[in-house]
Amino acid sequence: MNSDGSGRAKNKRGIWGWLNPYHYNLERWAYVFQRVTGVAILLYVLGHLGDTSFFVGGPTGTGPSHSGWSFIGSIFENSFGHLVLVLVVLVLFFHGVNGVRLILSEFGLIFKKPGPIEYPYKARSLSSGQKYLIWVGIAIALAAAVWALLVLFEGMG
Amino acid sequence: MKESKLMLIQYATAVVAVALVSIHLIMQGVLYPYSTAISFGNILSIYRNGLYALFLESLLVVVLVHGFNGIRIILHEWKQSAPWSRWVDLGTVLAIVASVGYGTRTVILAIFGGVSS
Repeated sequence: MNSDGSGRAKNKRGIWGWLNPYHYNLERWAYVFQRVTGVAILLYVLGHLGDTSFFVGGPTGTGPSHSGWSFIGSIFENSFGHLVLVLVVLVLFFHGVNGVRLILSEFGLIFKKPGPIEYPYKARSLSSGQKYLIWVGIAIALAAAVWALLVLFEGMG
Repeated sequence: MKESKLMLIQYATAVVAVALVSIHLIMQGVLYPYSTAISFGNILSIYRNGLYALFLESLLVVVLVHGFNGIRIILHEWKQSAPWSRWVDLGTVLAIVASVGYGTRTVILAIFGGVSS
């Protein structure tokens, strides 16, 4: 029993529970990746805010600066920087498509009607459409990453 | 603000972000070759076109509101108590204001600042 006397189990696993894959199904993996990719994208966006600010000379700049932009280009415009961008595109597209799936399910648009719980105890609410959308998200993300790879590495060799 | 409204904001910004980020990526890798897209002259012309500048500012606001509100949701899932909620909500607002402010500064300086070598 908890200190509040409710008898409910405490949320002891917290966000670290995301990293425990025991008994995960596809939807659970999608849940974890939605959050992990969300945090990764936000970190990238904050970094991108920082690097684009060098277009105006960085934090102390006063206007468009050729030297500031060349400086930031010399750091990020290389194979490693482009590989990071390919990964960003990969997670961005997965996050976007999976996010649309989550919105559709939040508003009940892709749910099956709930029914009695019977063996083999699979949740009927998780329609095959949801599973397809997760795979569609993965496929679109991979295709977008290949596209980014071609765009970014074109002419580098 | 009610949690239900904040979740609606999260979904609305998600849908708008999908559209805006798609346009941003098309501008960076489809309309022009990537090397042209990131050239100083091209970026300057984008910032100094009113419509594009408005687009970039909208992208900035929508993505940062969605991103930090997402972090807020994760932090609320992680731990629940009234003081924690207040600090997380306050931190979210401050993070959005600071990051949107910094990004907006770049947009304003790019539009109105003098070009230097």
